[in-house]
Amino acid sequence: MSNAMLIDLTRCIGCRGCQAACKQWHDLPAESTRNLGSYQNPPKTSGKTWTLISFDEITVDGQLDWVFAKRQCMHCQHPACASACTVGALHKTADGPVAYDAAKCIGCRYCQYACPYDIPAYEWDQTLGLIGKCDFCVDRQAAGLEPACVKACPTEALVFGKRSDLLAEARRRLARTPHNYVQHIYGEHEAGGASMLYLSSVPFASLGFPTLAAEPATAYTELIMRQTPGIALGVAAGASAVYWIIRRRQMMQEQAAAPATVTTAESAEEVQS
Amino acid sequence: MTNHWIDLKNSDVILIMGANPAENHPISFRWVMAAKDRGATVIHVDPRFTRTSTQADIYASLRSGTDIAFLGGLIKFILDNDLYQKEYVVEYTNASYLVHSDYTFDAGIFSGFQSDKATYDKSTWWYQMGEDGIQLMDRTLQDANCVFQLMRQHYARYDLETVSNITGTPVADLRRVYEAVASTGRPDRVATIMYAMGWTQHTHGAQNIRAATIIQSLLGNMGMAGGGINALRGESNVQGSTDHGLLFHLLPGYLAAPRAKFQALADYIDANTPKCSDPLSANWWQNFGKYAVSLLKWLYGDHATADNEFGYGWLPKLADGGNYSWLTYWPTMRSGKIKGFIAWGQNPAVSSTHANGVRQALEHLEWMVTVNLWDTETSSFWQRPGVDPATIQTEVFMLPCAASVEKEGSITNSGRWAQWRYTAAEAPGEAMSDGWIINQIMRRLRQLYAAAPGPNADPILNLAWEYGEGEIDTHQVARQINGWATSDVKDKDGNVIVAGGKQVKNFTQLQADGSTACACWIYSGSYNEEGNMMARRDPVDTHPQGLGLCSNWAWAWPLNRRIIYNRASVTMRGEPIDPARALIRWNAAEKKWEGDVPDGGWPPGERLPFIMRRGGRARLMGPSMADGPFPEHYEPWESPVFNPLHPQETNPALWDLEKDAKGATHAFPLVGTTYRVSEHWQTGAMTRNLPWLAEMQPEMFVEISPQLAAERGIANGEQVLVESARGAIEAVALVTPRFQPFDIGGQIVHEVGMPYHWGYTGLVKGGSANELTPPVGDANTMIPETKAFLCNVRKLPGGNGRKEV
Repeated sequence: MSNAMLIDLTRCIGCRGCQAACKQWHDLPAESTRNLGSYQNPPKTSGKTWTLISFDEITVDGQLDWVFAKRQCMHCQHPACASACTVGALHKTADGPVAYDAAKCIGCRYCQYACPYDIPAYEWDQTLGLIGKCDFCVDRQAAGLEPACVKACPTEALVFGKRSDLLAEARRRLARTPHNYVQHIYGEHEAGGASMLYLSSVPFASLGFPTLAAEPATAYTELIMRQTPGIALGVAAGASAVYWIIRRRQMMQEQAAAPATVTTAESAEEVQS
Repeated sequence: MTNHWIDLKNSDVILIMGANPAENHPISFRWVMAAKDRGATVIHVDPRFTRTSTQADIYASLRSGTDIAFLGGLIKFILDNDLYQKEYVVEYTNASYLVHSDYTFDAGIFSGFQSDKATYDKSTWWYQMGEDGIQLMDRTLQDANCVFQLMRQHYARYDLETVSNITGTPVADLRRVYEAVASTGRPDRVATIMYAMGWTQHTHGAQNIRAATIIQSLLGNMGMAGGGINALRGESNVQGSTDHGLLFHLLPGYLAAPRAKFQALADYIDANTPKCSDPLSANWWQNFGKYAVSLLKWLYGDHATADNEFGYGWLPKLADGGNYSWLTYWPTMRSGKIKGFIAWGQNPAVSSTHANGVRQALEHLEWMVTVNLWDTETSSFWQRPGVDPATIQTEVFMLPCAASVEKEGSITNSGRWAQWRYTAAEAPGEAMSDGWIINQIMRRLRQLYAAAPGPNADPILNLAWEYGEGEIDTHQVARQINGWATSDVKDKDGNVIVAGGKQVKNFTQLQADGSTACACWIYSGSYNEEGNMMARRDPVDTHPQGLGLCSNWAWAWPLNRRIIYNRASVTMRGEPIDPARALIRWNAAEKKWEGDVPDGGWPPGERLPFIMRRGGRARLMGPSMADGPFPEHYEPWESPVFNPLHPQETNPALWDLEKDAKGATHAFPLVGTTYRVSEHWQTGAMTRNLPWLAEMQPEMFVEISPQLAAERGIANGEQVLVESARGAIEAVALVTPRFQPFDIGGQIVHEVGMPYHWGYTGLVKGGSANELTPPVGDANTMIPETKAFLCNVRKLPGGNGRKEV
C-alpha cells in the first residue's frame, strides 16, 4: 500500500513551517515577491516553490474564518501528468510519490496542460527549462524519513502514513467531531484518487480546489497524447521564444519604473545575469 | 510562565489575550491543540482576527489598550455570580485582610497621590496590622474594609454595558468569554492564561497582569496543572537573560540592585529582607542575605571578605530615585551625557519605540560598538536614508558574533526550563562567541586599569575573572551559576554539609557568611555534584497521571519545580483540589510529597503556598504597585475617546519623558498597534536577510478594515502613508475584514495594525512601525506603550508609483 499525507486544514495555523522546510530540504531558491494585499507569497506554486500555504478569508454563516491550505502536487493514484509525458520523465512510484526524472525531460510541458490541479510548473527563466513540483520527498521516504513538511508541522495538521490508514483516520475525525468538518475527504476519489488527502471546515470549492469526477484524468490525456507527440518540440520552442520576449519587455519596464522593489538575493542575481 | 509549555494540554479553558501564539509561538500550539483534542475551550481576545483566532472556539475583539476594562468586567462577573472558589480564596489569597481605613478611590485616583511628582504615597494601601505583627483578617469576607469587599466595590462599575462601551466588544461576546473562563471556578475545572507583549506594552501593562492574577486567584487556578498565568516570552532566551540580571534595577536572581542610600551591606540586606511574624508564612525572601553575599563572593572571589563587606562597596549603586530604563537612554544620549554605546545583540533603531528619536540620539555618540550577526539599521544608522554621513562623527565598530546554535551553553525557555545545547555548527568567518568577545574586552580593561588605576579601578581589578585567554568555558560559568562552597559549610552542630570546593546541592545550602559563592541563586541545583542537570534528555513523563511534567528532561528553576506555587493545588489538609490532576500529593505513610517538586517540603498545612510573598498568600489587592492596588481602566497615553469611568483619562503615574511627542486626535484619529508575524523575527535582521523568509513577507504592510479603506478610498495592495506625531512611513495597505471598526459608546473608532519587522538594511526593506510609536512607559516597568497609539493612514500624495492590485 502506498504512502500518503493527511492534510487537516482545521488544525493548520498557517505558520508556514512546511513551506520553509520544503525550500530548505530541496535547496530551492527564493522568488522575488511583492505584497499583493495578502499573506500568501509566493502567489502560487512554481518550479521554485513546490509547496505553499494559501490564505483565504471566508465567511460562513456570517462568521469570518481565515483558512490556510497547503498546496502542492496531489500525487494522483493515476497521474495525468505521467500518462501525458512522452518520454517517461514522470511516473507514479509504488511508494506513492509521482516522481520526476529531470534527465529524461525534454521540456514539452504536456504534463502542465494535463494536470487537473495546475501543478507542474515549467521554469521559464531557465535556458534549458525543466519541470518543478513537489516530489513528496521521495529521497527522504527512501531513507525511511517522513517528508520535510510533515516533520516541520507543529500541530499535526500534516500526517504521513499509509493511504489506507490515513483514510481511516480521516473518517474517524469526520465522525468524532462532525461539526468541525465538511463531510468530504478531498483526494479520496478526485480524478481517481490521490496520495494527498484533505479535510476542511469549509467546502473545498470555496478554497479554489477543482471539483473533479472520480474518473482518472488519464483517460483523456492518453487519448490526446496519441495525436500529439510530433508537434511537441515545436510547441516547446515557440513557447520559450514568446516567454523570452515577454520577460525581456517586463524587465525593461521594471527598470524604467524603478519601483521600491523587493528583491531576494537569488532573484537579484538572476535579474543581473 | 508559572507553568510550562506542555502543561497547556491540561487546561479546560485557554484564554489567549494580548498574545498571538499561533503566529509568534507556533510550537505552543502543539499543546493548545492537545487541549482542544481533550475538549478544551480556546478563547482569543484581540483587536484583530489573527492566525490564533482561527483556532479559537470564541473570538472576541477589543480596542487596543482596554484589557483592564475587559478583565475588570470578568472580575465583577465572577463575584456577582459567586463563581469563585471560596476555600481557596479565604485560605490562599489576601481577600480577608483588613486594609488601612484611609484607603480611598475617588474620581480615578487612589489615595496618596502626589500630583507634583506624579507618584503615589502607598501607605494607605497597606493592611491593618495586629500587635503580633500579623495583618488583621475577617475570614467571613464581610468587613467593609477587607480586600474582598474593597475589590467588589472597585469593580462594581464594570458592568457589561460599561465595559462594552470602553472595549467595543459586543456584550454577547463579553458574556460568552466571561461564562467560559468563570466556568473554571470549581475544583474539577481549570483555566490558563497565555499573554505576551499585547498585555505588557501599555502605560498600565503591569496592571493587565495584575488583573489576571485576581481572576486566576479567585477561580483557584494558580498552582494548578493546566492553570497559571503564562507569559509567552518574545525571544528564546529572554527568560534566561531576565533571570541573570539583564534589567537595570535587578542583580542576577531578581535581587534588587543596590541604591545609593544603602552604602552598608547590612542596610542593603535589611531593606530587601521582608519581615513576617506569621508562622504559616515561609516568607522565602527572608533568605535574601544568603543570596546577596553568595553573589558577592562569586563576583569578587578571595577579595570578598567579611571585613570588607564582601566587596559590597565595589558594586555600582543606583542613585536614589534614579531610573535607568530603556526610555531614559535616548533623551540622555541626545543631551550628550552618554558618549559610548554597546548595542549587543540588539537593534534599537528598529526595535525601540520612537525609533526616529533613537536614530537621532545615536548621532550624538562618540563611539558605538555593535555585536551582531548582520549589518543592522543600528550599525548603519549613520548612512540611513535622508542623512548625510559626513555630518555624523560617531565611530562605529562592528563585531561579528556567533549565532545561538554556533556555541555551547544553556538557554532558558518561557517555562523556566534551562536546556543545554551543544555547538551545532562552527561560526563563519571572523564571527566569535559572545563569551570570547566579552572575555577580550574584560581582559584588556583589566590591563588598562592595572597600568593606570583610576578612581574606579577596584571593582575591575578585584573582580574574580578567571576564564583564561580565549573562549570562556560555559561549563565553568554554569558551575559558578550553580554555586559552590568556598570553604567548608557546616550546620549548627558543626557537621560539614558541603566540603570546601564542592558544588552546593542547591540554594538551601547557600550561606550569608561568605562560605558559599553563587552567581544566580535561582539556578542553584542546575549543575551540582550530580552533574549538568540542564543536559538531561530523558523525555519520559514520570507523573502517574501523565501531566507532562517530564521532570527528567533538562532542568527548571527553581529546584526543577515545573509548576510554581504548586502547594496551592492541594488544600491545607494536603488533599489535591482536583484529584484528576494531582500535581503533588502528600504520602502520609512515608511523610513526603509525590509528584512535582513542591514549593517547600513542609507537611500539609504547615505553610501557605505563595512562599515568595511576604505573607504567603496571593494578592488580590497589590499594595506594592506604583499606580494603584487594584487594576483600573485608564485610556492609553494617546487615545481617540474619553474615559467614561472618570475624569482621570490616563494612568496618573505613567512615564512620559517626552511630552511634546504626543499626537492629537484631530490629526491622528486612528488607533494604531504593532505586532509580529510568523515569517519574521523581531527587527528582521535574522529573517529579512534570509531569502526563504523574505519572499514570504517581502514588504511592510498595514492592516486596515474594509470600512476604513472605503472611507479613505484605499484599495487592497495599494501603497499608503501611515503617520503619527513621531514620524511617517510607507506601507502596503492590506485591506481585511479581520479588522473591524469598534463602536465605542456610539462613536466609531477605527484601528489599524502593523508588524514592526522592517527597516533600511537587509534583503527586503521597508518602513519601521516603531517610527510611529510613542516614548511613553508603564508606571511600574517603564515598558513603552507600543500597542496603542494614535496614527493616521492616507493615500500617498501624488500617486504611489506602483500599480494598484
